[in-house]
Amino acid sequence: MEYAIEGFRLEKSFAKKRSLKEIVTKPFVPAERIEALRGVDLHVRTGEIFGLLGPNGAGKTTLVKILSCLVLPDRGRAVVGGEDVRRENRVKPNIGLVHSDERSFYWRLSGRDNLRFFARLYDVPGPRIESRIDELLERVELSHAAGQRFSGYSSGMKQRLAVARALLHDPPILLMDEPTRSLDPASSLSLREFIRDELKGRLGKTILLATHNLREAEMLCDRLAILVKGTVRQVGTVGEVRRWGMDERQVRLEVSNWRDGIAGPFRVVSAEKLDGIHRAVVALDGDGRLNDLLAAVMAAGCVVHACDRVEPDLEEAFARLMREESAKGAA
Amino acid sequence: MKRFFTKIWAFLYRDLLTDLSYRFAFVLQLFGMVFAVAVFYFASRMIDPKTAGLDGIEPFPWILVGIAFQLYFATALYSFSEKVRSEQVLGTLEAMLVSPTPTSMVIFSSAAWDFTWGALRLVVYLLAAVFLFGVKLHVTSPLALMLGIVLTLLSSAGIGLLSASFILYFKRGDPVNFILTMGTTFFGNVIFPAKVLPASVRGVSAWLPMTWSLKVVRGSLLQGADLSALQGEILRLAVLTAVLVPLGLFASRIAIQKAKREGSLVQY
Repeated sequence: MEYAIEGFRLEKSFAKKRSLKEIVTKPFVPAERIEALRGVDLHVRTGEIFGLLGPNGAGKTTLVKILSCLVLPDRGRAVVGGEDVRRENRVKPNIGLVHSDERSFYWRLSGRDNLRFFARLYDVPGPRIESRIDELLERVELSHAAGQRFSGYSSGMKQRLAVARALLHDPPILLMDEPTRSLDPASSLSLREFIRDELKGRLGKTILLATHNLREAEMLCDRLAILVKGTVRQVGTVGEVRRWGMDERQVRLEVSNWRDGIAGPFRVVSAEKLDGIHRAVVALDGDGRLNDLLAAVMAAGCVVHACDRVEPDLEEAFARLMREESAKGAA
Repeated sequence: MKRFFTKIWAFLYRDLLTDLSYRFAFVLQLFGMVFAVAVFYFASRMIDPKTAGLDGIEPFPWILVGIAFQLYFATALYSFSEKVRSEQVLGTLEAMLVSPTPTSMVIFSSAAWDFTWGALRLVVYLLAAVFLFGVKLHVTSPLALMLGIVLTLLSSAGIGLLSASFILYFKRGDPVNFILTMGTTFFGNVIFPAKVLPASVRGVSAWLPMTWSLKVVRGSLLQGADLSALQGEILRLAVLTAVLVPLGLFASRIAIQKAKREGSLVQY
């Protein structure tokens, strides 16, 4: 199967909550609706980590809920593991969900008892339950805390237990909704490494990762889609998305004797002096060539110590997209 | 079927472990039940045993059985919706609903412990009545008693599912539960016989499963009535159950579908 997850023109809107007064005084006036998804197309390849990137309220969680059969789409079609999400009994055995809500366990029960409960719900065969739980606890490095109450777990441990739960029935597809949101930097890094090395690398899972953390997306995703106000604005590899909207290349120079105006026709993006050396970022837009820039700088008496290409940043690409969105909104 | 019982057991074991983790509260609840029986005993001594509608049964066991079953009914009425609500608050509902277990089974099984606890409370009430207050039980037909209990459980579950569906559909439930609980308490022969009510409203009681449940249980438990003597009441209860259970299941299916369309099932 080339694609593990596919969405075709998915649309979803939610009714705004009405007050009791509104319901009584205007019973036949339909409630105002908020559009969460507006024709989303999505194609996630089998075995890849696909990022769903977007600001809060972009529709990421709604999309994850549709793909995990928790919410039905108003229009359009979603296919997970080759099955339409409307046939949930066929889809659910193939998916595991990890969401950001660290409360999603029974606090008075131990980690093991929690997993035991969910294992029965996830149709793990009775004789396999204990060995499967042992295996998963070891994999997420929680064996030492298996008998401890969930309420005593740290945020990192809670999130690792959530990953173990999603893996109980060994689904080929994992849907992760901001899994590192409530974690400290060290726990986030550890979970990201686990996702990349263990879940994708060793177990070969297909992972849809909804996040607004650009670093996370950059570190983990093979491809990503940027979702803004319920529409997919950009899809591609991290490199492609980074370069999106950039019609210029940039180079970083380390030079001595830098002065304003010596770059000639080239636009200087930034320039700062550190330990007697200037670090300048210069844009080579249009037909601008590196040779011409270096010639101009050296002709002005500068000594060039280093020169390298500036790789566009995902954060900048995202910011560009957001600026464009607000400009559209203003227009 | 094995899958069904495995799931029910998972929920029962989970809730048993949770309740046992609050040991003091657990013991207090048991003590509270015995204390409640004592209150009913002394309160019932004010009632004239010749009151119309008691059918020759002593007021204390008559009221005890009525209140015990009414509490059971209230459990059925509230537990489905309250469990869904509490799982929403805990954040565990999504994790359950994304599992291959059907949504209706998740909702149904969530209340399994409450039903079991309700049954245990019934037993404690009866044991306390027998051993502490000398109530004599006359069970000549265990089958009639069993039928009465099973049909009560099913009809209550049917009404409970209807109530939970109403809450899921309209996201407002308290008035419905309140009306059903009060209506059953008032018209269902729970604390006083419907015969003492004005004739104009007395007919309402015939439409309530509680009326027939209590007739069957009081008859088989306290009067020594056999199956043939209670067959009319059992039949009426069975008919009401046969209507309420499919209706409850159908309503819950519609409500779950709507909640899924609106996304309200997983929102708190």
